[in-house]
Amino acid sequence: MARGNARSRSRKGSSSRGARGASKTAPVKKARGIKGIDNPLSESVLVSVSDKLGIPVSQISHVVETIGEVAQEASDTDEIVKEYKADKSALIQILLEIQRQSRWLPQDVLMSVCEKLGIPLSRAYRIATFYKAFSLIPQGRHHLSVCMGTACHVRGAPRLLDRVIDAIDIKPGETSPDEKFTLETVNCLGCCALGPVIVLDGDYHSNPSPKELEKLVTACD
Amino acid sequence: MARLRSATDLGKKRQSILSRRDPSKPCVTICSGTGCHALRSDQVAEAFSREISSNGLRAKVDIRRTGCHGFCERGPIVVIFPEETCYLGIKPEDVPEIVSTTLVKKQLVERLLYKDAEGKKVALEGEIPFYKHQRRMVFGSNRLIDPKSIDDYIALGGYSALAKALFEMSPEEVLQTVKQANLRGRGGGGFPAGVKWETTRNAPGDIKYVIVNADEGDPGAFMDRSLLEGNPHSVIEGLIIGAYAIGSREGYVYVRQEYPLAVSNLTVALKQAHGYGLLGKNILGSGFDFDVIIHRGAGAFVSGESSALMTAIEGIVGEPRPKYIRTAVSGIREKPSNLNNVETWANIPLIIDKGAGWFTSIGTEGSKGTKIFSLVGKVNNTGLVEVPMGMTLREIIYDIGGGIRQGKKFKAVQTGGPSGGCLPESLLDLPVDFDALTEAGSMMGSGGMIVMDEDNCMVDVARYFTEFLADESCGKCIPCRAGTEQMVTILNRICDGEGESGDIELLEEISEVVQDASLCALGQTAPNPVLSTIKYFRDEYVAHIEQKRCPAKVCKALISYYIDPEKCTACGICLRNCPVEAISGGKNLVHVIDQDKCTKCNTCFEVCPTRFDAVVKISGEPVPAAVPSGTEVVRKKGKQE
Repeated sequence: MARGNARSRSRKGSSSRGARGASKTAPVKKARGIKGIDNPLSESVLVSVSDKLGIPVSQISHVVETIGEVAQEASDTDEIVKEYKADKSALIQILLEIQRQSRWLPQDVLMSVCEKLGIPLSRAYRIATFYKAFSLIPQGRHHLSVCMGTACHVRGAPRLLDRVIDAIDIKPGETSPDEKFTLETVNCLGCCALGPVIVLDGDYHSNPSPKELEKLVTACD
Repeated sequence: MARLRSATDLGKKRQSILSRRDPSKPCVTICSGTGCHALRSDQVAEAFSREISSNGLRAKVDIRRTGCHGFCERGPIVVIFPEETCYLGIKPEDVPEIVSTTLVKKQLVERLLYKDAEGKKVALEGEIPFYKHQRRMVFGSNRLIDPKSIDDYIALGGYSALAKALFEMSPEEVLQTVKQANLRGRGGGGFPAGVKWETTRNAPGDIKYVIVNADEGDPGAFMDRSLLEGNPHSVIEGLIIGAYAIGSREGYVYVRQEYPLAVSNLTVALKQAHGYGLLGKNILGSGFDFDVIIHRGAGAFVSGESSALMTAIEGIVGEPRPKYIRTAVSGIREKPSNLNNVETWANIPLIIDKGAGWFTSIGTEGSKGTKIFSLVGKVNNTGLVEVPMGMTLREIIYDIGGGIRQGKKFKAVQTGGPSGGCLPESLLDLPVDFDALTEAGSMMGSGGMIVMDEDNCMVDVARYFTEFLADESCGKCIPCRAGTEQMVTILNRICDGEGESGDIELLEEISEVVQDASLCALGQTAPNPVLSTIKYFRDEYVAHIEQKRCPAKVCKALISYYIDPEKCTACGICLRNCPVEAISGGKNLVHVIDQDKCTKCNTCFEVCPTRFDAVVKISGEPVPAAVPSGTEVVRKKGKQE
């Protein structure tokens, strides 16, 4: 889901709810362009627009990218809703798909889904807050899960969780301000033989020591 | 993929698959279940593929990535057929030796075999004690099947039970067979499946649903996942047979989205079954139509409850409703809906194939057949085990599980997931079946079996489960929502050393209300962990409350860490590893823990080499005064010589 990752990462500040941890200056990236306009905008066009408006290239490319993302997101949402034949009873499945692609549920997307299904926004929020799979805030670039299943618990998972909290300085359910990590606890990963266990971006690590944790954390960009 | 239009077609298909397979051709099977996957079995599989090619054996050796074999403790597991040579704990670097020695020279790689306690090596998978004492009739095919290949399943006789049901039996006969087999629900309640089927069959209405409950939410239980990931067709076949008996045309599989491999293997399996005409219109030419939809659960423990699961399928928040009318009569969209657990469905093809008499010959008076347990925690052989009902806890934990890790003392075994209970050593000879476990204050549940040793605090365990349940309570009814919260508050107080006399009685009183007044099984069984630990381990509660002592030395507020000056060798390991710099010391100086700085993270205790054992945990007694700073360590050289 490289595309989804990139999108949610740079989405900060692009919606009213995404202000959390928004950076002041957007990184200078190659603008992805806007669907159907000029795809992608060439460096020289960006520079000439920048000259005429007296705004730095980085800001223009950020705006272009954001508009592109919003447009892309809207068409992605359309596709997902269409895939489930705009069936109201598929709401949970639709939200799961959006969560999988974007790694969170932005408000504007929820609104557009509800409009298409002809249901009140409150129903989507009820589901989004009831189930664990959904997130209403952007997720970090690196996902760290600590298994708190019973087998891991009796083998010292609470102590391991404390160590992880020390190492990345956020609590379960939180995302670090720089959106580097999201930490969550899960109730069983089904690999009890490795317990207590953490999963960092899909890789399993059995009971890492504070030193090993530090190494894992610093290896993340 | 050609559609199979009759039972004869299915038989022919099987023959043609078998005729293309040479049973004497070597086949390397690599366990790709969740446990082995976490241990990087995919790299092992890739290494085999590379090595077999580079040895020019591509045409002479098959490779098969199978579902979970069960012996997770020693994964990744590699079994080489036809001899069934079993290698354990395989790393990619072991692969060239296996290929050159076993596949080329037909010799054993001794160092990778299972070694028993006396050092005797065991080459065959079936003779390893972990497997020898099991009876793997439901789970056993996992090791022979590539879950993405319907042909593998058909080669083993798959879908023949479906053909038998469709062409040799009436729906009533199928129903009667399941009733006679007295198959009880494997998901927790143990309700007879046949009786449930009959209720749905007889309920008014033309539209009826059959559902697979794969919302396995018990922490520490992963058998449903392993069945669905490893042998999805056995579940699908059971479901179609059930639909035929009940008169249903549409089925659902409700599976947690946290199990992506189960979802993807199931999706492939459904597609293949469709392709062969085993699903859809006119199945095997019998005139019976049936289709299945996958519904992914979004992560809520309570949604595994039948009425909650069905509301979730309707796209609404999965909360339970009162069941004055059972879901078997009024379920999804108020239509009769029959819900059974994954393992229950996987038993159906076996019962139809071999008959009710065969099934009832296994197990105890009230519980027939086998049960899969996930044997985990402080046991030597972690894994999935399938045993006949009635085997004792002792046989499961010691003969199959190989006893307690690191020679520690057994304290308790927790069965039945968060709704279950903890059973003490005195009940180790209890035969495991639905009724015996319930009588002892626990339950079968979906089959989690968590072993605990002397280092586990039972109050902490009770708190763990109650916290889990308080978190997962949907909040619809007050006794469960408020009751579990209050129980957590009291348990936290006890673990924090602030327990008061009367707390145990208060816990018991709240438990009674929560049990009696909650709507669904989550609330009704939520007090079980507390009640069973109070029943069997009351002295631990008393020690916490009255002596402010945690006998297992787990509860942080009640323990301290201390370095024994007699044993400290000033090696400096604890000092270097302490994350809060609470340890002081120097070359040849006794190390001392600053009790004010110590966060009780246990790191010093873990890193102190066992040959020194200088860091000690104490509870219920004052920490001995620290030695004056600058005290030199006692050099043991003189003493030893």
